[in-house]
Amino acid sequence: MTTLSDISPRSGAWLTPQKLLLAAILLTAPYWLPAIGLYQYIGVEMVIWIVYAMGFNILFGYTGLHSFGHGAYLGVGAYAFGLFQHHVAVSLWGGLGAAVAAAALAGALVGLFVSHRRGIYYALMTIAFGQVFWFSAIKLHGLTGGEDGLLNIPRPGLRLGLATVDLNDNVAFFYFAAAILLVVVIGIWRLVHSPFGRVLQAIRQNETRAAFVGYEVWRFKWAAFVVSAMIAGLAGGMFAMAQESAYPDVMSLHQSGLIVMMVLVGGGLVSFWGPVLGVVLYFVARDVLGGLTETWLLWYGLMFVAMVMFRPEGLAGILASLRGAVPGGRRREIAAE
Amino acid sequence: MTQLVPHLFNGLTLGLLFALIALGFTLIVGVMEVINLAHGSLFALGAYFAYSVLGSGWAGETALAAWWAGLPIAARYTVALVIGPLLAGLAGMVLEVCLRPTYGKAPLYGLLLTFGAALVIEELIRLGWGTGERNLALPQSINGAMFLGGLIFSKYKIFAAGFAVLAILGVWVFLEKTPYGAIIKAGAHDSEMVRALGYDLSRLRLLVFGFGAALAGLAGVVMVPIWGLRPHVGIDVVIPAFLIIVLGGVGSFWGSVVAAILVGLAVGLTGAYASAWSMMSMYVLLIAVVGFRARGLFGRKSALEA
Repeated sequence: MTTLSDISPRSGAWLTPQKLLLAAILLTAPYWLPAIGLYQYIGVEMVIWIVYAMGFNILFGYTGLHSFGHGAYLGVGAYAFGLFQHHVAVSLWGGLGAAVAAAALAGALVGLFVSHRRGIYYALMTIAFGQVFWFSAIKLHGLTGGEDGLLNIPRPGLRLGLATVDLNDNVAFFYFAAAILLVVVIGIWRLVHSPFGRVLQAIRQNETRAAFVGYEVWRFKWAAFVVSAMIAGLAGGMFAMAQESAYPDVMSLHQSGLIVMMVLVGGGLVSFWGPVLGVVLYFVARDVLGGLTETWLLWYGLMFVAMVMFRPEGLAGILASLRGAVPGGRRREIAAE
Repeated sequence: MTQLVPHLFNGLTLGLLFALIALGFTLIVGVMEVINLAHGSLFALGAYFAYSVLGSGWAGETALAAWWAGLPIAARYTVALVIGPLLAGLAGMVLEVCLRPTYGKAPLYGLLLTFGAALVIEELIRLGWGTGERNLALPQSINGAMFLGGLIFSKYKIFAAGFAVLAILGVWVFLEKTPYGAIIKAGAHDSEMVRALGYDLSRLRLLVFGFGAALAGLAGVVMVPIWGLRPHVGIDVVIPAFLIIVLGGVGSFWGSVVAAILVGLAVGLTGAYASAWSMMSMYVLLIAVVGFRARGLFGRKSALEA
């Protein structure tokens, strides 16, 4: 099985064919999405969840920390965005900044508790904190609106010089989210290929050894958690814009489990791009299978179970081994990308 | 102080019931080092099977159905209390077969697989029994309320708590005082040696998983008259079970019982002062305890930390 650590020496480059491909897909998506029977809003949703999933994979795939309560930070971001619009000012960057800051704060606090844990204990502690956030979101009616959530969150316009782009149009909003996604992708790419990213991968491979080499492991685990929570918060802020509301459901264990499933099915354990594949597959399954049968979640669940049993390296792993089977294939580089 | 008595009683019964829920979970974690996130779904499955057995729909329109429906509810309830968990145990065995490719890998894979299985079972329940809330019919003798010292107690809660005590003692006697229990514990301690001694380890695992799943189903049949029967009851159940195991210490039988009672009392007493927050107290308890004692109250080092 290939892993994320089969990294070729040159892979820290800013521009790779995969990133150009992603940019090209994002740039053209609004033109062909309706043609293949989908709609503009699904593009928005996918882009937001890809941001979330890629941030999650810093923790899950690269550092090997299995957070099962990550929906909490998406939710915190969504609520922070909404509360900022309602109580401070209607501002795009202010709201997104508040979302990132609130998620970073929540992540930093929780990170202090969980970063000394490993394995299953880590998973459990993140679940417990996730439940605390979810529960609080439901019970703190005055702040969060309880089960109904915060409603009527505006989508503030994007100021470009003198002109203002109205993001209430889903196509305009899609391009805005896609631009953020590209920035996030390049940022994460640089991060995981930096010395810091190498330490995270060393921790995944053998935490004890990383500690013996002299790294203060818990600080790195804490930092990875905070970065991952911040990106989830950013995704949450955009999610609040997309939905024009923020509600507790995204913080539930069910939703937090779904992001783990998406990342694993896509191949987040073996590839940088795994989360992208996983999110796309999930939303296509939801809309295409969901159009055919009410029980699409059953089929998605069965596929997930089969994947864990036979192909835990996910879609990206399957693709890599297919390409690696070609004579003269580029197996090592593929695993890195 | 007397106002607190009902809350203490509620907390204690809830704690015993939590211990019953965690029983099968502890067994599977302790012996197989698998975190079975489908535990709650097997719990729900056991209860749904019992619900179906109690009705007469399974026999169609035959004379058998008429005879069954004519039996007193107490007899039908007793049968359902046995058949429901057994069927849940069978479902658990199927799950164990699916789990086999994950043995020897990181514990994450078992966790993920059972999470997927939980999703699948929940959807199957929706398919089979619909999404609405169901009620399990109860015999008159354990239904209703009783007065004791001027306070009202639910008869069913007393029955359920007593049943939980019996089940816990039964499993303990089975694990500690019978040769089967010795083999199971030996399998947890040193599986290679057990295999070398000639025991069929894969059959042992199959049976242990089936037994754990049956205990989940049993807890389901006993619990749902209190909690209600809905398809997603599984997720409400598996988290407390998981939490209790970690609080008590993975692999410690009495640790999980003590932890369950602590959690029950915490929930019951929080309910006295701030009822909206009662279910959250267990998470706070966990964070407080595990924040200081990484392995829980009575835990030892285990493979699950790697």
